[in-house]
Parts: sequence; structure tokens; C-alpha cells
Amino acid sequence: MQKTLAEERRQRLAAAMREAGIAHMLLYGNAWQGDYLRYAAAFGILEGHGIALVSAEGEVDLFLDSASDAERAECEAPGTRVHFAADIARAVGARLDRVANEHLGAAPRRFMPGWLADKTRHFKLDDATALVDRLLMHKTPGEVEAMRRAAQIADDGYGEFLRVVRAGRRQFEIVADIEAYLRRIGCPDNFMIIGSGGKDVLGMTPPSERRIATGDLVTTELTPAVEGYFAQVCRTLVVGKANDAQRRAFAVFVEALEAGIAAVGPGVRAADVAKAENDVFRKYGLGEYTTSQWTRVRGHGMGLFADSKPHILEDVDTVLEPGMTLIVHPNTYHPEVGYIVLGDAVLVTDRGVEVLCKTPRELFEITA
Amino acid sequence: MRRGLISRSPVELPDAVLEARLDRVRAAMAKAELDALAIYTNNTRTAGVSWLTGFVPYWSEALLVVPGRGATFLVAALSFRVKPWIERVSRVGAVLHAPRIGLKAGQEIAAARADAAVGVVDLDGLPAGITDDLREGGPGLALRDASDWFAPLRSKADPAEIALAMHAAAIAHRALGAASPDTLGAMVAAVEREARHRGAEEIYVAVAADLERDARFVRIEGAARRGETFALRATVAYKGSWVRLVRTICDPALAEKANAQLAAAVAGLPHSHGFSEFRSWLVEGCRLVQPLDPMIGSRVDGSLAPSLGAVVSVRGALSIDGQTVLVGAPALIGAPGEAASLLVDPHFG
Repeated sequence: MQKTLAEERRQRLAAAMREAGIAHMLLYGNAWQGDYLRYAAAFGILEGHGIALVSAEGEVDLFLDSASDAERAECEAPGTRVHFAADIARAVGARLDRVANEHLGAAPRRFMPGWLADKTRHFKLDDATALVDRLLMHKTPGEVEAMRRAAQIADDGYGEFLRVVRAGRRQFEIVADIEAYLRRIGCPDNFMIIGSGGKDVLGMTPPSERRIATGDLVTTELTPAVEGYFAQVCRTLVVGKANDAQRRAFAVFVEALEAGIAAVGPGVRAADVAKAENDVFRKYGLGEYTTSQWTRVRGHGMGLFADSKPHILEDVDTVLEPGMTLIVHPNTYHPEVGYIVLGDAVLVTDRGVEVLCKTPRELFEITA
Repeated sequence: MRRGLISRSPVELPDAVLEARLDRVRAAMAKAELDALAIYTNNTRTAGVSWLTGFVPYWSEALLVVPGRGATFLVAALSFRVKPWIERVSRVGAVLHAPRIGLKAGQEIAAARADAAVGVVDLDGLPAGITDDLREGGPGLALRDASDWFAPLRSKADPAEIALAMHAAAIAHRALGAASPDTLGAMVAAVEREARHRGAEEIYVAVAADLERDARFVRIEGAARRGETFALRATVAYKGSWVRLVRTICDPALAEKANAQLAAAVAGLPHSHGFSEFRSWLVEGCRLVQPLDPMIGSRVDGSLAPSLGAVVSVRGALSIDGQTVLVGAPALIGAPGEAASLLVDPHFG
């Protein structure tokens, strides 16, 4: 499957490059932003940084400055020529000198080592980020299938989360158990943040030493990856019985999520989805909590990056098209109870939307 | 992204340690006639900023600015809501939030002195967008590469860093020791669970699944079969300190022999003569901003040999009695006249 997806992506990229008249493309990646690199090189980078040099014929040379990751790439990145180079900027530069008179693209150009992008080089790198962004956003059926499997693991992972959260446990111990669960079932990667507490909690972060207490709202974004494709589920639970304020607050988030998902469809702007979510908060006098002071985004794209384009915000005009995968999540602070999250991964289809997550949209209660 | 425990301990990393590191940096800045120093960090290139502040971004990116005089400030792309978390896990004078961190940092430096001389650690490797933004924020700033003088400061471990590395090594040892024979997925899960429960900031587990066929380490996705002899490698971060440790599951006598060869070879570092019997070998350590830069080894040209007093991770492959055994452990390079030494006994009973 990996090989098929990798070949398919390379062919799409090469075709897009030929159409744009780009002879060679550089794709940058590191463990934070690895999607551009992975699109062409089929490698999940963990250490150092990497640059894939792709020709319009679809040939890929992968330069890595971590010897350990280079060794891994030799085994894990089929159809890619792997080069270990302590100074990858100059190693790639030496290759580009040979084709300096051709049209060269870079994505994302802003992440490229400054030395490579310097105007004094013999070669010139044009910013081709938008070209690759289009490919990253529009999934092929094979990519969608990977997203479905990742969403299934996200659901299963949340089931495990419900089993391991207990009063007295520390946040990092809970995340340790979830990561171990994912590794046990063969899932190598995950994006996950967590929050616990009440009105004092403004958002989620990596796990801390804070102990879970009775009455806490415990929030998480769980985002496992299958073949590099991340799918997310966001849920909130209560340790013990939910009180009336928590139930009332959560009902607003359910309504907002449903409104957001109902708005998703081909031809709809990302802004329309955000507005549908935010209008629910405004209806209940909570409009302030849809602003950047309290929340970052109302959802975002998903795929080879856990937080990809388009961002679901009222000022983002990206038009949704079939094959795009998103998370719709009206996550924000609620002044009566604290931070709440609720979100589902969805696929934009020809007719509208398909929800990929199956976890019930409920405020879960677990034994204190 | 980091999913392990990121926390600050005034016991393991007291203010005085960070202050002493800043003092050494400022002294070097004065010698280089710099008005400010900028160091970039993301969750791959953590080692410069975490060394001076304890800050490790679990996601996104930031620029630390060390003025020649006055308090440090961190410009973070993480949203304003994460500010309390950053302040809790690190020690910086001020935390500023901006989506274009280079622009904001450039503006702040230029506000103090429009034509300031600014040292940038790993200027050539700085993301092009950050470089462009620094120049836009401070058109009169003179950006200079600070790598040559920063590297010797960063690569020599002080007592606090040695202690953190030893703690990371102990976590890695306990984690690899938690892997009892099972499916590879179950063994990887056991290693990862143990490391994270012991407070690891990060853990990467790689597997050489069948040493009779291939001695290279890979990450496991889905189901994978293991051979009669195989190896696990744990890469563990603890409060900014990174180490690697290797465990080969094979005849214990062979493993013991291989570990003795590793220790003997390590003792000779930074010279490489002890590795002549190794099929392949590698020494990694921190030089600038990446925690485990390749330094010397069978695939490395040797131009970046580890400095005296550095914490490194060493690994290699040996053929003993016709069998492949992989070994690896963190080590401390000695001062002049001192032999290097492993930081943890890589033996697993």
C-alpha cells in the first residue's frame, strides 16, 4: 500500500510540475512539518532536516543530515535515492548547480535553509508552495482510504483513553498509556495534546505532571497516523458525574459541531464552516469565545500534516472540494466550566460530507 | 510533536546553571562585538534554546534573543494562550507571540539599536523565511553567523547536562529492559510506555528486526516479524538532553563481548582507532541546535569530531563468531589526558 500511495503521489507531483513548467522541485521537511517532504519521498522524518529533490520525470533524491534517519530512509522510502550529508544545504546546492539554468521550485520555500534560498546562489528557487498545497489538500481515493483507517484508530484510541483516565493519575502517565496502545497496534505516530481541570484551564498542551481530579473536565485531541496520514478526534470527558453547567455548556459545542459539519460541502468556503460554528456560540451570547484570544482555529485540514490547510476561520476563503479531509472542531473556552473540545474528522464528498469518526458526540463520564 | 513530559525542575536545572551558561554566551558575544544573539528552535532543532532556557517547543517554532545587556526574550509562533505553559516550563525574561517570529524579533532588536550586530546560530541553516523576516523587521541589522564560537560553548557539557544525560540514559536502560520477548509491536509498546512513564520528554524506538538479514534500524508500522536475533534502539530525551541506547537480543555471551568492545573503543574517543574492528560505527552529539548531530563514524568524514567534555551517543555493528551484534550507548568524552567513558552499562540481564 505504501508503495502504491508513494508512486501515486510522485506521479501527481511530477504531472503538476510539468504543467507548471518546473523541471526540479525541492521539498523540505522536519519532524514538525514533514508533509511536503513525505509527499514525494514517502519518508516520515524524525530527526534533523531533509530535502527531497524531485525531477519532472518523478525521480526523487532524498538528502538527510541525520545519519540515523538516513539509515532508516534507505529501508523505509522505496524508490528514493537516499543521501546522507551533514550539510544538506550545500549538498543540495551542489546538485542544483548542475541544473541552475532550469526552472526550479521550492516548497515550502520559507523553510528551506537560508543558504539555499540566498539570492547570491547560481540557481534561483521559485516558491512552489501553493502548487504542493493543492496536492496535499486534494486526496486521492488511496489517500482517503488511509485517512479512514487513521480515523478508525483515532476512535479506538479514544476508547482506550476512556479506559486509562482515572482520578489520581498524572497527565503524562495517561499519554504514555495511549502511545503504548498505538505502538502495540502498529501505529507509529500520533499528535496529542491534553488538558484537565476546570475554569482555570484555557487550552491544551503537552502532558504535565498535573493529577486528574474528581470533577475535572479532561480534554484531548488524539491524532494517530496511518502511512503518514493523520486523522483527529476531539472529545471531552468528566471525571465523575457531569454537573448541570457542564452539560449545558457541552450542548453548545454539540450544536456548533453539528452546524459546522452540516455546512461542509463542495463549493463551500472554509469561512462558511467557521461562521456556522461561531453563529451557534453567538446565539448563546458566547461570541467572544470564538475570537483568537480564546481559540486558535475552528478546524483545519488533515492529511500528511496534523494541522494542514485550510484553516477553518471566518477569514479563510479556500473553497472546499471533494477529496479534502478536515477536522471540524469548535474547541474553545467556556466561561462557566472551562475549556471544552469536540471535533470529528470529515471528508468532503461530491454530495456533501462524510463523517469519518464514529465516537459518540457525548460528554463522557468516567468513574472517579 | 513531543508527547512526553515537558517540565522544569529547579533541582535538575537551577537558575544558576542557566545564568552561568548565559554569562559564558554573553562573554563570547562581547568578544565577537555583537549586540544580540538569535537562536532558532522548533521541535527538531531544540538544543540551543533549551540549553539556555529549558524551553522545548512541542510544536511550531520560536526565536530566542539574547541581548548583550538586559533580559532575554523568546518570540514564539505558538498562540498567546500557550504563554502560561511556556512560562511554566522555561526561564526567559519575556515571552512575545507573533506568527512571523523573525519579523517580530527583528523589530524588537532594531528598536534597541537600528544597526545592531546580531549573531545568529546556524545562520546558513536558519529557515529562509525567518532570515527574510529578520531583515524586514530590522533593515539596518547586520546578521553574522555565530556558529563558530557558539559550538565550543554548547558542545562542552557542564555538570547539570551530564546529570540530565545520565538520567536520560537510565530511562532508556529501564525502557529497553522492559521489553520481554513478544511481538515486535508489543516490545516497542513496552519500551515506549516505560520511558514515558519515567518522564521522558520524547522516545523514538527503532528496530533491526532480523540481524541475519539486515542490521539497519527502522520504525515499525503495522505488523512485523522478528528473527532469532534482533535489536532495539531507544532514543530518549529528558529535559532537553538526548541519548541513544541499543539492546541486541542474542546470546548473552556475545552481547557481553560486544559491549566490552564498545566500551574499549569509546575510551579512545575522540580518536577513532578503537573502532577498527567495527563493521560500521557512528558518534553523534550536540554541536549547535540539533541534539544528535553526526560527528564521526564510518559514514562521516570526521570534520566535526566531538570536543573534549562533550556528551555523545556512540553506536556500532560488530560481527562476532559470525553473528551480527549491534551496540550503542551514551558516553562522556574526557578532558585532556582522560579516557572517555560510557554513561550507562549497556548490559541487560
